[in-house]
Amino acid sequence: MGVPRFFASYQQVLDAELARLVPDAGTPVQRSMAYTLLAPSKRVRPVLTLLCAELCGGRSAQALSAAAAIEMVHAASLILDDLPAMDDAPLRRGRPSNHKAFGEAIAILAAFALLNDAYGTIARAYEPPLASRLAALLSDSVGIKGLVGGQADDLLATDQQIDFEMLERIHRGKTGALFVAAATAGAHTAGASEDAVAALAAYAKNLGLAFQIIDDLLAVEGEPARTGKAVRSDARKTTFVSFSGVEGARMLARELCDTADRALQPFGRKADRLRELSAFVAGRNL
Amino acid sequence: MADPHQPDSGARADQARVDELRQRLRSLGYLDAGVDRFVLGPAREARRPLAIAALASLRVGLLAAVLLGPAAAVGIGARLPNLVTGTSDAVVVALYLAALFGVAATVISFASSLIVARIPLRVIAARPQFVARLAGVLVGATCLVYLTLWWRIANVDAAAIAPAWTAFVLAIAVGISLLLGHAASITAFAVIAASQDGAARRVERRSAWALTAVAAAVAFAGAAALLLVTTTEGAEEVRPAPNLAVVSPGVRVTLIAIDGFDPAVLASLEPGRVPTLARLLSGEVRLHAGVVRDPAREWTTVATGQPPDVHGVHGLETRRVAGLQGSVTSGDPQGLASALRGATDLLRLTQPSTASVAELRSKTIWEVAGDAGLRAAVVNWWATWPATQSGANSPIVVSDRATLRLERGGALDGEIAPTSAYDRLRDEWPRIKEEVARSVGGMLPASADAATREALGRAADVDAIQVAIASRLGSPPLDLLAIYLPGLDIAQHALLGSGEAIAPSELAARLEALRSYYGYLDRLVATIAAPRDDGLIVTVAQPGRIATITHGLVGATGRSAAADQKGAAQMRAVDIAPTVLYALGVPVSRELAGRPVLGLFSEAFANRYPVREIDSYGRREAPAAGREGQSLDREMIERLRSLGYVR
Repeated sequence: MGVPRFFASYQQVLDAELARLVPDAGTPVQRSMAYTLLAPSKRVRPVLTLLCAELCGGRSAQALSAAAAIEMVHAASLILDDLPAMDDAPLRRGRPSNHKAFGEAIAILAAFALLNDAYGTIARAYEPPLASRLAALLSDSVGIKGLVGGQADDLLATDQQIDFEMLERIHRGKTGALFVAAATAGAHTAGASEDAVAALAAYAKNLGLAFQIIDDLLAVEGEPARTGKAVRSDARKTTFVSFSGVEGARMLARELCDTADRALQPFGRKADRLRELSAFVAGRNL
Repeated sequence: MADPHQPDSGARADQARVDELRQRLRSLGYLDAGVDRFVLGPAREARRPLAIAALASLRVGLLAAVLLGPAAAVGIGARLPNLVTGTSDAVVVALYLAALFGVAATVISFASSLIVARIPLRVIAARPQFVARLAGVLVGATCLVYLTLWWRIANVDAAAIAPAWTAFVLAIAVGISLLLGHAASITAFAVIAASQDGAARRVERRSAWALTAVAAAVAFAGAAALLLVTTTEGAEEVRPAPNLAVVSPGVRVTLIAIDGFDPAVLASLEPGRVPTLARLLSGEVRLHAGVVRDPAREWTTVATGQPPDVHGVHGLETRRVAGLQGSVTSGDPQGLASALRGATDLLRLTQPSTASVAELRSKTIWEVAGDAGLRAAVVNWWATWPATQSGANSPIVVSDRATLRLERGGALDGEIAPTSAYDRLRDEWPRIKEEVARSVGGMLPASADAATREALGRAADVDAIQVAIASRLGSPPLDLLAIYLPGLDIAQHALLGSGEAIAPSELAARLEALRSYYGYLDRLVATIAAPRDDGLIVTVAQPGRIATITHGLVGATGRSAAADQKGAAQMRAVDIAPTVLYALGVPVSRELAGRPVLGLFSEAFANRYPVREIDSYGRREAPAAGREGQSLDREMIERLRSLGYVR
């Protein structure tokens, strides 16, 4: 199952904005940044930001900088995750991983540069109150309760027997936190109410876990050409499939997507594009 | 050969794993499961067992409050109809009970989830889901038993209820029980998972839906069986509508109730000093008095022919619960109950009130007479307020608060019914006051000290007013007049009931004053007990609050009464009502605890009018909700306090 049709227009806008912010030229660090950031991608997270902004009555153009910042953070996390000290992954998005292409030192610097650019993009694009709010959101999603914490737990769990709650914590940090940040950042740029923000956070939380479960499934049975990763690259790690089996994981992913859809009830038909997104996540490459 | 439709054990195990993970995800804030999300919602971020148990238990308590509070209110409304007199009362009771059940469920859920999380047994620790489910089953089963018995109690005439309706109610009860059981189960599971650090893995069970369906079916069958058993054991016959056909002997009965009467004092008085009382009580029929000397309790027993447990008035002092029209009898609490009453009074959750119709569950003789088409009236009897007029034949009720209303004027708040009687008495009130003032002024012994004169004056005032009122109700003639005269008891209590040491000379003076009151009472009673051809005067004299004697006297005078009543020997308080109703020609209910005492009647009368019986006088309807007029609750308490009834 491919991405929803409406994705294309958002992807084009996002790709253009990302290319403007991080041109694929200049120093090795700049090229390293662009290498991962501009690599072919579905842009699920930044599209989520734009969709949530529109759902809450805002314009996607207003949320574009926030969406770009989200994607920058995501790209930085991918670079760091693939490092030999971390997952030591050779492939990413169908190409050699960043450190394979530019070397570890450059890759690390590129990741830091992307993180800094993310905050800078927000600071320059929005008025202080909103910028401050978005920066805090981003900081939470990156920090110890987000990507960093999740990755740390993940490293500690490698080759270890972990329980289900630990696995959820890892995924919540590595995937869920940025999904939630993406959705709520979009809502905030549109000046959404607290109830709307909470509903979208619930949507993103469930969707994020579903996304990760599907990722685990793909790691088990996906085609490298489609996943962009080597199959069984996570063999040293405990995954959802370890707990539930393949069919169980599929079932839970579908249920999580259904739950995400139910969180959208207050928005009615206006949230159909987000429903399409969750349907896409549920059926991704399965 | 394996059945292809039967899932193999591997598939079942997979399903079980997924079920467990689903539950864990819910406890972590994922998935949308209604109750689960509600119960575990606030515990999502809390990872410590104690915090999860506390937060989730609060939600379980809230669920229990919402579900059980209203259900219990309906139940208690049926059980204590006098407490819930209308919709607003029902809402308030539901809120009270919701709070009660909420707190109870919170505490139980919190305690049980912590306990099961700490069970050390290896087998149980290895099967946390089983343990959690066990906790849920216990909570659900308790809830279901409670709801089933509640339904049984709430519907005394269960045999008359359509099976479909009962099945519907049971289905609701099963639903509530499953819901609460499930809530308790997932709370326990979440706590176990947190405390065992995810060690809970191995589960063996069928799919959740199949299990739920089986549990619902078993619960429904169990509840139905429980209902069947309790209904069979306690089934009550459905009573037909009472047939109160009167075979009139042409007798008009005056029932004179004298409180605080001591037969020994009567015997000690010089001949001729109390001629009317001597005439009325000449039969010397003993009335066995109860051990509990509460006037409201005792005289309601006289008026209904039922013991206190049946008629419902247990004591003069009751408690009104904040926000409710109805009241509950507080009796004479001691120890913890007394402290609790004091605390609730202090918090203004309850306040003292007096015995009223709200507590009354049995019909009184004047109500039965009214039902039978006779013209009846009652004056100043305990527990007659609020007086209501429910039909053309309703008795005239001048309640124990009538004097207060007549003194203060204004709109009625149930003090007198019907309103026309109030209008008439209000017009007469100035003349009544003059009459009473003359009467009381002439009775006070000049030799008595001021305190004694005041005590006697207060008592005489009360009695004189009642007699004056009663004498104004007799047109057109009444078939039954019941009047309660508390003056002697008030005087006796004021003069001798303080408990303080009294010098012999002072005691003698007070006794003489009391004797003088007997003389005054005699003259008062004479005005309403004049001999008449068609009259039967039934006089009931009870010992009152401070006497140590255990009997009073009963007498009957009139053409239908026996000349020699010694054959009656002894009566009980519950015998008065059926005896009076018999005299009026009203059939006697087999439900009454007492029987007509034929020894009070002439042989010719007894032979001519054999006792007729019916099954029941029917159930007493709860008083209608709503009160009008300015309330005299506080004034009534103050009045009773000044007369020594309430501390």
